[in-house]
Amino acid sequence: MIAPAAVMIFLFFLMPVVLTAIFAMTNMSTATGISGGVWQVTQGAVNRLKADMPELASGIAEPRFVIDEEGLAALEALKLKAGFTAELRTSHMGEVFPSRREAERVIKALKDRPSTREVKQISDLFNRSVLNTRFETRDELMASLKRLGFTLTPAEQETVAKATYTGWVWTTENFRIIANSPDMAQIFLNTAFYVSVTLLVFNVSYALFLAITTHYMPASTASIFRAIWLLPRITPVVIYVLMWKWLTWDSGFISMFMGQFGYPPKNYLLDSAYNAWFFVILINGFIGASMGMLVFSSAIKAIPQAHFHASEVDGASRWQQVRHIILPQLRWPILFVTCYQTLSLLASFNEILLSTRGGPGKATEVWSLAAYHTALQNYTGNLEYGLGAAMALVLVVVGIVLSLIYLRIFRYDTLISKPLIED
Amino acid sequence: MAEKPQTSANFSSVPVILLLGLFSLPLLVMYAYLFIDTISDTEVGSLIPSEFTLRHWSFLWETKTGKPNIWLVTLNTFIFASCITGVILTVSSMAGYVLSRLNVPARGFFLAGVMVLHAFPSVTLIIAIFIVLQWIGLYNSLIGVILVKAAIDLPLGIWLMKGFYDTVPWEIEMAGTVDGASRFTVWRRLVLPQIKPAMMALGLFSFLTGWSEFILPQVLAPGAKVQVLSVYLASLIIDDNNFDFGTFKAVGVFYVVPVLILYVFFQKHLMNIYGGGTKG
Repeated sequence: MIAPAAVMIFLFFLMPVVLTAIFAMTNMSTATGISGGVWQVTQGAVNRLKADMPELASGIAEPRFVIDEEGLAALEALKLKAGFTAELRTSHMGEVFPSRREAERVIKALKDRPSTREVKQISDLFNRSVLNTRFETRDELMASLKRLGFTLTPAEQETVAKATYTGWVWTTENFRIIANSPDMAQIFLNTAFYVSVTLLVFNVSYALFLAITTHYMPASTASIFRAIWLLPRITPVVIYVLMWKWLTWDSGFISMFMGQFGYPPKNYLLDSAYNAWFFVILINGFIGASMGMLVFSSAIKAIPQAHFHASEVDGASRWQQVRHIILPQLRWPILFVTCYQTLSLLASFNEILLSTRGGPGKATEVWSLAAYHTALQNYTGNLEYGLGAAMALVLVVVGIVLSLIYLRIFRYDTLISKPLIED
Repeated sequence: MAEKPQTSANFSSVPVILLLGLFSLPLLVMYAYLFIDTISDTEVGSLIPSEFTLRHWSFLWETKTGKPNIWLVTLNTFIFASCITGVILTVSSMAGYVLSRLNVPARGFFLAGVMVLHAFPSVTLIIAIFIVLQWIGLYNSLIGVILVKAAIDLPLGIWLMKGFYDTVPWEIEMAGTVDGASRFTVWRRLVLPQIKPAMMALGLFSFLTGWSEFILPQVLAPGAKVQVLSVYLASLIIDDNNFDFGTFKAVGVFYVVPVLILYVFFQKHLMNIYGGGTKG
């Protein structure tokens, strides 16, 4: 009965973890594709080869004309004068011409005198240039280079194959990019700033504030406020962010409201990095506060009422009650929320993607969003799956380490009770 | 636990109420205008609606060029959310039972795994999942994204179900096994009926998370034929040529109302799970 769960978790959970690690070691991108590649002498490949093998590079970039059986057969099929084929076979078989002009000069000189149009037609049949031809295997490419008169040592073959391969290859380049690029450092700082501020200000402090203040209210008022503050949590994220967008848009609420006092309308969400951060943290913070409020409220509810009554009789102030009764009891819930939200803040990019998309510029780009942008959606159109996976792998590792720690802190052994029926 | 009127003789709660009311204003304003703007037109530069109109709701009977039909999208969303609910309920109620009752090999390991996966931020796997789905040909299909979403939500479901089973007394089951019923029969006929409320809660919760899910369908099934409401709404908003908050909000209300209704009716059931720490 546990098999379906095991299979699903394995397929869509554990395998992706391993695959993320594997993809992180490749240079997969839109350009290389995700299945295998082919060998193709593109202009790019020729440019790459120029440095090491200038002779070969200029050679393969040029058109080549070879009089071979294949071409003769095609010529026969064209049903031009029979003499062309016969003469080419007897006197020119196997000749290689480095340019179209030279090939055509020979064809023109044939005894049957082909017309200019026919010369073109015939020479096309013998065009054996490798430029822009696709070869399914490496050997095909090498064989065809050999036919053209390039004999290569195995080392040279290796270089050529590497330069012309269009598929993905194994590489550790991704990690070097992550470690060295200043962009990445900036994104890392953004992430640290975003996670710590949101966590401290909203997910913990403000959630505590909500839980404690509603605790001290008459029950009906408290339930109204709890319902209001639950809204961010239950509202689907797209609408939730849409409402914030409207609030901050240049024809939205804040602009209109400030307009009453003579301020010109502007887009408060995207006009400066400072404002963008302010709203990004607010948007995410409200959601976090929702969850924190629920956890803390139920923890406060579990505190015996007698503590409050006794302290009240002793004349304790509200602050003293909070300080000496509530907070000590909330140590574990606070730790839980902190651990939990650190992970979800690190990983979730829904809200930022929908609100600022990392903008203005790259001001609010955080790590997970950057991975998403690199691998799945960007403006240049070349999606770098490999690099994106490497960035995600960083998060995956952090996620696994943190959740293992978190498992230890919350005393896993007490959670795993003995099964009730031994089998 | 007695319902506590936390009113104290020593202190007044009016200041905190006012303060909290002030903090809640942005949310109230956003929600109020979410509904107001869908049925009214407001003149530029003003905050008070000037006339009643239904034109923002025209998306219900007119399909915009280049956008899928709203009813198809709604149907997709419904299928998406219901299938997720079905898969999660079936799979996690079985797995939870095993983990709660049977001494299967590697039980401890499995439980620990479920705990870790529950805490693990699964959205980081989306790049690998995207490539895998392309390989196996389930990219841009509802089945693919349903399986992925269900698998990602499974650890929570299993963990919750295990907790619910732990609270069920086992005497009845014992009697069942003694009478010669198989383990499966015992589970289906005797245990499942006892955890109906729990199934209800988990089912509702799964339905709501499925209904609200955005990033997985956006990445794994963005095609017009399999679009769900969240992706549809996001694509409307991203389209800079037709920027019209009235329509966005109308679609938004259309999308959010089922959530709010379910929530209002089943608040008690859901509170357990929302409080129990899910991904946010």
